[in-house]
Amino acid sequence: MAVIELTNISKTFGEGIGRVQVLDNINFQADRGELSLILGPSGSGKSTFLTIAGGLQTPTSGTVTVEGKRLGKLTSKERDQLRLNKIGFVLQSYNLLPYLNVADQFALVRKVKKTGNLSTVEFQRLLTELGIADLRNHFPDEMSGGQNQRVAIARALYPDPEIVLADEPTAALDSNRVKVVGSLLKQMARNHDKAIVVVTHDLRLREFADHIYQLMDGKMVQEK
Amino acid sequence: MFLALREIKHEKVRYGLIVAMIVMISYLMFVLMGMMIGLANENKAAITTWHTQTVFLNKNANDNLSQSLITKDQLGGQRLNEHESLVGQAPVVITKAAGGVDKQSAQFIGLKPDQAIAKKNIPLVSGRHARHADELVVDQSLRAKGYRLGDQVRLNSTADRYRIVGFAKDAQLNVAPVIYGRLATWKTLRGVNSQVVASGIISNRLEGGERFTNLARYTSQEFIQKLPGYAAQNNTFAFMIGFLMVISLIIIAVFLYILTMQKMPNYAVLRAQGIPARYLIATTIHQAVILMAAGICGGLLLTLLTTWLMPTTVALVLDWPLIALMVVVLIILGVLGALLPVRMILKIDPVRALNG
Repeated sequence: MAVIELTNISKTFGEGIGRVQVLDNINFQADRGELSLILGPSGSGKSTFLTIAGGLQTPTSGTVTVEGKRLGKLTSKERDQLRLNKIGFVLQSYNLLPYLNVADQFALVRKVKKTGNLSTVEFQRLLTELGIADLRNHFPDEMSGGQNQRVAIARALYPDPEIVLADEPTAALDSNRVKVVGSLLKQMARNHDKAIVVVTHDLRLREFADHIYQLMDGKMVQEK
Repeated sequence: MFLALREIKHEKVRYGLIVAMIVMISYLMFVLMGMMIGLANENKAAITTWHTQTVFLNKNANDNLSQSLITKDQLGGQRLNEHESLVGQAPVVITKAAGGVDKQSAQFIGLKPDQAIAKKNIPLVSGRHARHADELVVDQSLRAKGYRLGDQVRLNSTADRYRIVGFAKDAQLNVAPVIYGRLATWKTLRGVNSQVVASGIISNRLEGGERFTNLARYTSQEFIQKLPGYAAQNNTFAFMIGFLMVISLIIIAVFLYILTMQKMPNYAVLRAQGIPARYLIATTIHQAVILMAAGICGGLLLTLLTTWLMPTTVALVLDWPLIALMVVVLIILGVLGALLPVRMILKIDPVRALNG
């Protein structure tokens, strides 16, 4: 069974002549151990897709299922819990808290999710794998863009989610960095058995994907 | 608390400035309150040491002991009991008979030596109680003006000389030092006829309506509230303190609102990651409490320093139970100030996290 499944998802904004259909009858599913890439230009509905998949927005029609649970039937608090426990987000601008050092970015997760996070050994292995084990005492403004992005990936994986949703994780990175982040995401999917979904307009990530979808004018087509 | 402390630690200058504002406001509030209590004490300290419960004055005295004169007839033939004392009050100027010390304005309180106040309600800090008509007990503040035990003094322009035999504690009335002497001396100072017995009667128990029906009767609180300028002075201070409390509420609300606005993108990310809104709300409230507590501690330290440096002539009294109450009120106001940003946190749309 797919860990996340979107069925007949449509999303419209506005009413009357201002009505815009951003997503039109989309079907999507992702499995553990796989990296799915959703490509599309700006304004194609990629971010809307990601917010609906992550339970941040409700679709106009259709259903989103995460590990067999229909998001539409969950309360706001239950969706918060689901995001905390099952879904990790990697965002475009890293979005680490500027006043927390690397160690505290993870300590914050422990404060709100006391169990079910990576064990100390797993966590240390993850940091080593990402090459950020020696950055524990650094603040975001003391690290490079690439280091911040790797910390953000570790931050997303630390609560041991089933799914990682990444929004333009390679924006503003040079080609070398794109390769590093792309292979890291693939490695995370493989080694940690996560379903990783990346929305991006960055074609350089194609080579790392197990599945590629094209999102254009609200419609999604699978190409690989 | 975790996020609140980490952020404050990281943004030392920003939060330091907010704390500095709260330090100044709380300092001003504590000093104003100290002055309010100090001045109130100087108005009524003697009345408190007399254990006053009931006061009888002439009905036409406009509620004022120094303007009251009661006559034998007004006593209606009633004898004073062991709780009651005849008191004669007159403003006087005291000078040393030998000269050399500035004249001082004071309140003369004439008493009968066999009545309650003279017998047991004048606490001394040095010397002894008066035994003869020409002996006086004066407020200890006159020591700082150069008066000593055994000094010969004059009251007003009279030729009579009196000797200081004791210094009394808390002997102040209408923000002036009290000079305790005999009721007969008061009569001389006021120049009243033999029909007049005193300015009023002070009782150290609550008296019923059957006592001295020809006189106006006041409880201790009523009497104190009617002391000249007392209520107006206290109300002025209370208003100033109240306004400062409102200002502190506005300051904490505005600062936390601005800080929360600046943190909205971060909070949107945390909400997207499933961090519950109640955690972020608790963080904001903790921050308000920490800022207020730090500011209040600073204000208290400055207040203590001020009381230490202030000359003794400045009426500044720290009433710790009242200060504790004010601290609690200030912290509650800080939490109330944090409610404005809390509303913003509740409305955070985590979708913003993905829109940059």
